[in-house]
Amino acid sequence: MKIISSRDVLLKPLSFIGSVVERRQTLPILSNVHLRLEAKRLSLTGTDLEVELIAGVDGVEGGDGECTVAARKLLDICRALPEDAQLEFSADGDKALIRSGRSRFTLQTLPAGDFPRLEADDWAFEATVSQGELKGLFDRIGFAMAQQDVRYYLNGTLIDIRGATMVAVATDGHRLARSEIKLDSAAAERHSAIVPRKAVQELGRLLEYSDEPVKLQMSQNHVRAEFGNLVFTSKLIDGRYPDYEKVVPSAVNVRLALEHDRFRDTLHRASILTNEKFRGVRITLSEGLLKAVTTNPDQEEAVDEMPIAYDGEEMEVGFNVGYLLDAIHALGGDEVEFALKDANSSCILRTPGTEATFYLVMPMRL
Amino acid sequence: MASSPAVPERSILHVDMDAFFASVEERDNPELRGLPVIVGGIGRRGVVSAASYAARRFGVHSAMPTARARRLCPDGVYLAPRMQRYQEISRQVFSIFHDFTPLVEGLSIDEAFLDVSGCHQLHGDIETIGRAIKKEVRARTGLTASVGMAYNKFLAKLASDLEKPDGLVRITPANLRATLDPLPVTRLWGLGKRSAERAHQAGIHTIGELLATPVGALEALFGRQAEHYRCLAEGRDQRAVVPSREEKSIGSEQTFAHDLRRPQEWERVLLAHADKVAGRLRAASLSARTVQVKIRTGDFSTYTRRHSLAVATCETAAIYQQACELLRAWHREHGDAGLRLLGVSVAGFEALEQGDLFAVPGGERELDAVVDRIREQFGAGAIRRGRLLGHRDRSD
Repeated sequence: MKIISSRDVLLKPLSFIGSVVERRQTLPILSNVHLRLEAKRLSLTGTDLEVELIAGVDGVEGGDGECTVAARKLLDICRALPEDAQLEFSADGDKALIRSGRSRFTLQTLPAGDFPRLEADDWAFEATVSQGELKGLFDRIGFAMAQQDVRYYLNGTLIDIRGATMVAVATDGHRLARSEIKLDSAAAERHSAIVPRKAVQELGRLLEYSDEPVKLQMSQNHVRAEFGNLVFTSKLIDGRYPDYEKVVPSAVNVRLALEHDRFRDTLHRASILTNEKFRGVRITLSEGLLKAVTTNPDQEEAVDEMPIAYDGEEMEVGFNVGYLLDAIHALGGDEVEFALKDANSSCILRTPGTEATFYLVMPMRL
Repeated sequence: MASSPAVPERSILHVDMDAFFASVEERDNPELRGLPVIVGGIGRRGVVSAASYAARRFGVHSAMPTARARRLCPDGVYLAPRMQRYQEISRQVFSIFHDFTPLVEGLSIDEAFLDVSGCHQLHGDIETIGRAIKKEVRARTGLTASVGMAYNKFLAKLASDLEKPDGLVRITPANLRATLDPLPVTRLWGLGKRSAERAHQAGIHTIGELLATPVGALEALFGRQAEHYRCLAEGRDQRAVVPSREEKSIGSEQTFAHDLRRPQEWERVLLAHADKVAGRLRAASLSARTVQVKIRTGDFSTYTRRHSLAVATCETAAIYQQACELLRAWHREHGDAGLRLLGVSVAGFEALEQGDLFAVPGGERELDAVVDRIREQFGAGAIRRGRLLGHRDRSD
């Protein structure tokens, strides 16, 4: 096979592939990108056996064929070439030769036939949303996913499709994020699936804030998103996601509408004296006042206060300040509703008057 | 002052409270003042934790079996330790240390290293600081401390011991040799009984004599440790003062009146200790990551086994289960034995315990909370785990 192309055309798809390919691979071929040229369309594929990304480029000159070479090396070479450089890539036997100006690189190849592909089953569900909508959804909830938790089903995001609504939920057992977007058409049945953490993060990176469409498909075991020149496929996590609706506190005793930036800054200042191990902030509500106090093992202390409209009984609750700040950052807007039942139940954070997006944070026991 | 150019001059203090437990008892009970006060396990097989200086005149010292102390000092005042009270005072003392420097490395409840190298502008030279700390400790707690001052940890600790009680000793490069040379070699950190015997056989009794011995001969005597001892004898020690939390671990242990042979009995004892330790964690709003058991057999062999949990906990049940696993693993390894002592301790603290969104209502944590509330109101003995009912504590 032979590819004749400008360096710029290859750089972007290669950098997408580069982030899918894991740096440390058990199978050597998984660190390679699969290249195929057919009728002037170049397809680049990278996979880690859990997710697969195919990037297409049209109008590429050369000779049809396929091969696989080290993705990272090819990306680094393209990056290092001058901006307007032309390059010629030719694969023959177990070697590939890249020529550009006065630079020459000879790379090893592995047989294209050995490159593993994700074999997707029949799609049971399909919908189209805008890229911006989907990216926004993942941005709002992705940070709450667990990471390498033994409860493996928490290391991902629940996608729950009910009628024309797509709900996304992420939780690490300590805090939970829930948001939704509207679909262009209503699904006949309820579909739910757990999309792995890496897929959610990669999609978040690949999607752009634009009105361009994304075609979403789901089957028993896979989810696929097609947008622009990309086809992104991921396996699903096989497991039972906890019943998130059950942990939403049914009745709250305190409901405060707080100025977003002021609440954020108060907590942020208090958080300065916390560290990775001791992220606790004690929040005390008393008449007209919210007080945030943190201490650390060096016996340092931060106290920050803000006036609030509150005339109930004095109440003290402890939280991981990072969890509160994550939620407040994700909410944005002018006001945040901070609702509590008691010091042992989760608090709810949301924009006042809205239901679609909310965050639950479980307290720390004082 | 002469110092190696590579090592910046440091100002290290070692502060050691004098006969701490006994002094606290005397302070709380003025009529005890001047009497031979001995704090420790007061039963048949207890061990002395602390002896007042009046008691020491009878030859009583810490780690001595209480029975022996009673023979040496039959008219002594023997008291069971009140750890909570000592911890309270210890916190006051440590907070004084923290007023001078953040670099406080607690060695135990009653001694600490302080690095005050960076505090001279604020608090004056090392002797001024040493004196000020002694004064503050006395003013705020009524107790005396011995302070050692030097340019490294080894010398500071050595110095604090030279004029106990109420000592204030500084070792400088100028008085280094005069101070160290006449001291017995056992004052060198890490040089134990066996090494000392070997040294004595070779005619080396004092630090000065050790320093005069050729390197080859020292290596023949102490092997790889020779270099270490020589460094210390020369007054060199590069260890840094590593700030630590006041309390590194919370533990509860017990020496039995009779060796316990039955694993069911062992586990019952573990449950009692796990319950005590977990309760103290909860009272301090802490949870812990590491669980350790301490096992001492009838022949005084002591074993510790520890394990770190995935998530920090303050639940009685979680700590008990882990302690049992550790003890069972030890049992499989060592076979049947009579146990003289069993203890549970926890370390690796995390402040505040993160709640779990998906916790099962009515779980262990709620049970613990109810037990804590009942104990707070009606006393520690008001409610006990069912498995502990009908078994009186068999401690001393």
